[in-house]
Amino acid sequence: MERDERDRIGGDGRIPSDGRQRTASRRRLLGTGAALGAAALAGCLGPFDGGDGGDGGTGTGSPELDTFRGSGAQVGGRPELSGVRIDDLPPLEGSLDVYIGGGEGGLYLDLLEILQDVYPDFGVVPRQAPSAQLANTIITEVEGGGSEADLFWSIDAGSLGAVADAGATVQLPADVVENVPENFRPDRQWVGVAGRARSIPYNTEQFSADEIPDDVMALATDDRFSGGLGWAPTYGAFQAFVTAMRVLEGRETTKEWLEGILDGGVTEYANEFLVSDAAAVGETGAGFANHYYALRVKAARPSAPVDLAFTRGDAGALINASAVGVVEGTGKRELAQRLVRHLLTVEAQEFFATRTFAYPMVEDHPPVGGLPTIDELETPDLDLAKLSDVEPTLELLQEVGVL
Amino acid sequence: MATEDRIERVAEQAARESDDDESRPGLTLVAGAVAAAVVSPVAWLLLRASEVGLDQALDLMVRPTAVQVLVNSLLLVVLVTAGSVLLGVPMAVLTVRADLPFERFWTVALALPLVVPSYIGAFAYVSAFGPRGALADVLAPLGVERLPAIYGLEGTVLVLTLFVYPYVFLTTRASLLSFDESLFEAARTLGHTRREAFRRVVLPRILPGITAGALLVALYALSDFGTPAIMHFDVFTRSIYVEYTNFGRDTAALLSLQLLAVTAVILAVESRVGRDQGDYASRGSRRVRDRSLGWWTVPALAALALVAVLALGVPLGVLFMWLGRSGPAYAGGGFAFEWTYGLNSAYVSAAAALVSTLAALPVAYLAARSRSRLAALFERATYVGYAMPGIVLGLALVYLGATHVRSVYQTLPLLVFAYVVRFLPQAVGATRSSVLQVDPRLTDAARTLGQSSLGAFRRVTLPLIAPGVVAGAALVFLTTMKELPATLLLHPTGFETLVTYIWGVQEAGYYGQAALPALALVALSAVSMLLLLTQEGKDVK
Repeated sequence: MERDERDRIGGDGRIPSDGRQRTASRRRLLGTGAALGAAALAGCLGPFDGGDGGDGGTGTGSPELDTFRGSGAQVGGRPELSGVRIDDLPPLEGSLDVYIGGGEGGLYLDLLEILQDVYPDFGVVPRQAPSAQLANTIITEVEGGGSEADLFWSIDAGSLGAVADAGATVQLPADVVENVPENFRPDRQWVGVAGRARSIPYNTEQFSADEIPDDVMALATDDRFSGGLGWAPTYGAFQAFVTAMRVLEGRETTKEWLEGILDGGVTEYANEFLVSDAAAVGETGAGFANHYYALRVKAARPSAPVDLAFTRGDAGALINASAVGVVEGTGKRELAQRLVRHLLTVEAQEFFATRTFAYPMVEDHPPVGGLPTIDELETPDLDLAKLSDVEPTLELLQEVGVL
Repeated sequence: MATEDRIERVAEQAARESDDDESRPGLTLVAGAVAAAVVSPVAWLLLRASEVGLDQALDLMVRPTAVQVLVNSLLLVVLVTAGSVLLGVPMAVLTVRADLPFERFWTVALALPLVVPSYIGAFAYVSAFGPRGALADVLAPLGVERLPAIYGLEGTVLVLTLFVYPYVFLTTRASLLSFDESLFEAARTLGHTRREAFRRVVLPRILPGITAGALLVALYALSDFGTPAIMHFDVFTRSIYVEYTNFGRDTAALLSLQLLAVTAVILAVESRVGRDQGDYASRGSRRVRDRSLGWWTVPALAALALVAVLALGVPLGVLFMWLGRSGPAYAGGGFAFEWTYGLNSAYVSAAAALVSTLAALPVAYLAARSRSRLAALFERATYVGYAMPGIVLGLALVYLGATHVRSVYQTLPLLVFAYVVRFLPQAVGATRSSVLQVDPRLTDAARTLGQSSLGAFRRVTLPLIAPGVVAGAALVFLTTMKELPATLLLHPTGFETLVTYIWGVQEAGYYGQAALPALALVALSAVSMLLLLTQEGKDVK
C-alpha cells in the first residue's frame, strides 16, 4: 500500500487520526489545505468523477465504492471498510417523494442520483426547502389529512424531533438502525445518517491551538477573546448548541454565558460559513460554527490561517445529525425503509465522510483523515431529541438581547 | 385667498364627479368574492393564534423584546417610506417636468432597481460595504481601517429604500404625466411664482399618486424578510421567521396578527392622507417640458447618477464579480443550473399577472366608481395579503390546501393563487387610478347607444384603461419573479424556478452559482419594467 502510506501523512508532517501515532491534542490541524481544496473540488464535480486516491475497500461487485467517494489526500488514506454494502440489500424499486432539508441538500441529491443510477427502476422526487420549514410543512400537512412526503431527510435532528413529537413519523424496524449509536435513533422514530460537530474555528495568526480553552464555558470569561468572537445566533445549528448548553448546564449558567459573550463584544453573522470565513480572514479571532465550514473555507483558500478546536464533553462538543424519518401516512413504508437502509451502507457513509466532511453515523466507519474521531471528541452525553425543545432557548436568546 | 379659489374651480372643472349612486349588485358580488378569497388565509392565522392562551398572548405582547420589535418595525416603515418619498418624488419631477438630458435613460435606470430582489440587494451591500467587503479591501491599502457599520437600522433603511423607492417614483410619474398643465399655467398667470404654483397646484394633484406609491413601500417594508435578516435588524418578519424555524407556530401566528394590525393602521392612515384630494380626477395630456434646469443640470444629473449607481450598479457589480470567481465556495456541486428554471419563473409570473389583472378589474372598477363603504372595504382588503410575510401566507395555504382542497395542493393553481394574494393590490392600484381618469359620461353615452353595461365596459372603458391595466400586470409580473418564501413552500415538487435555485445555492454558500440565475432574474424582470414604462406614454386621453 505504497500510495496509502504517502497519502496518509499530511503536508504538515502529522499523521492523521487512524494511525496509532495519534497526536495528543484533540485540536488536530485540518490537514493540508491544498489537498483539501482538491478534495472539495472533486466532490463538486459530479457523481462519477470518482477518486484518484484510495483503492482500499473497493467493492467486489457493482456498484464501485469509488463512485460514492470523493477524492484528495484524506480520501487516499482510507482504510479497508467493512459493514453492510449495497449489494447485501434488496433492490430499490418504485418512486419516493422525499422532503430534503436545505444546505447540504444539493450534495444529498447527488447521492440519490447515484442510487437511481444503480437502480434503474428507482426514482426520487425531491422537494427542497429549509429543514424547519419542511418540518412545519409536514406537521401542517399531517394535521390537514396527510403528507405528500414518504420520507423526510432533515439536516438537523431538531427538525425531525419536532416532526416525531407531532406524531408524524413511523417507527423504523430495529434491524435497520442497529448499527447507529442509540442517541442518534431515539425510539427509532428517526435515524441519523451523517454527523456534524460543533467546533471553534480560530485564526492561527492570532491564536495557537493551546490557547483555545477546552471548556466552551470559559470563552465567555476569557479576556483574550473579548471583541474577537463571531457567531450566527439566527442559525439553527447555533440555536441547537445553545439548547444543548441549556439542557447540560441549566438555564442560568447558559444565560450568564450568553451575557458574558455579549459583554465581551461579539460579531453577528448570518450563517456559520461566514463565521468561519471571518475567523479565516482575521475579522474575528475565533467563532462558533459547525466543523465542516472551516474545511470549506480551507478548500476555497488553502492558505487561509484557520484551524479547528474542539472543546471537551460540553455543549461545544455537541454532534448533531442529519437524519431521516419515514412520514406517517405514507403508502410506501417498505420502500422508504429500504432507502434508509441504503443511506446506512458503507457506500453511502463513505459518501458523507468524503464529500461533505461529515461524521459517518455507522459505528466503526472512520471520518476523513484530518478530523478527530468521534471518541476523541468527547461528545456530551445528551439526548438529541431534546434539541427540538428550542422554544425556551429562543426566549432566553431574546431575553438577553441576542435575538 | 381669491386666486386659490379660482384655481380650485379650474381644477374642479377638470375633475368630474363619479356617479356613485348607480347600484351594481353583480359587480359588488364579484369584488366581494375576490376580497374574501384573498383574505381567506387570515382564517388559518386566527385558528393558530387562538391556540395561544389569552394570558400567554398578553405576556408575549408586552415582553420587552416584543415591544422592541414593534418599535423597530414602525421605525423601519416610517424611515423607508420617508426616504422613498424624498428620493422618488424629486426624481419623478426631474424626469417628467425638467429638460433633463437623456431623460428616457434616466427614467429606465431609476425604475430598474425595483427588479432587484431585496435579498440579493442586501447581500450585495453586505459583500460590498460590509466590514470585510470589497470596498474595505480596496480602501485598506489607503489606510482606511474601519468602514461605518452597514448592519442595523441604518443599513436596513438604506438598502430597502434603494430597492423600493421606484414604487413612489413610478406612481408619482404617472400622476405627473396626467397632470393638466393648464392648471399650472393658470396659477402662474394669477401671480404665483413657479415654486408656489408647484406647491399649491401640482403637489395636491399628485399627492394621491405619491401616497399610493408610499403605501406600497410601507407595506413592502413591513413584510420584507430578506433585508432585515441579512442586515441584522429585528423586525416582525424576522421574529416570525425565527418562531417558525423553531416550531413556535402559535407564537408566530400571534406575531403575524400583530403585524396585520399594524397593516390596518397604515391602511387607515393612507386613506386619510391620500383619498381626500379628489384622487386622480384632474386630467390632461398636455406636457410641457421647457423647465430649464440651467446650472442645476449638473448637480441634478450627479444626484441621479449616484442613486442609479447605488441602487443598480452595486448589486449588478457584485453579481458580475461573483460570476467571475471560481473555487468551491463559489461554484458548488449538485446544483446544475438549467435554463428551464427561467422559463418556469416567467410562466408562473405571467400566470400570476394575468389572474391578478382579472381579479383586480372588478375591485378597482368598483372602488373608483362607487363611494360606498363596501367598495372601499373590498379594495382595502386586497392589501392584507401584500403585508403578510410570505412564509405566513405559505403555511396558511399549505394548511388550507392539505385540509380542504387536496387536489390543488402543490400544484401551479395554488402557487398562482398565493402570488395573487400577495400582489393583487399592485394591479388594483394601477387599474383603479386609470379608471378614475375615464369620464363616466363616456360609459353613459355608450349605454344610451344600446350597449349593455358589460358591453360598454368592454368597448369604451377597457380600451381607455388598458395602459394602467398593463402597467399593473407588469408590476405583478416582476414582483412575482422575485418572490421567495411562498414559492419555496408551495411550488409543485420538481418545478424549480430561478428563486428556488438561487435560494438553494446561496443556502449552501455557493454564491457564484447564484450569480447567473440572479442576472437572468434581473434581465427577465427588466423586460417587464420596460413594458411598464412604455405604457406611461399612452395615457388616457
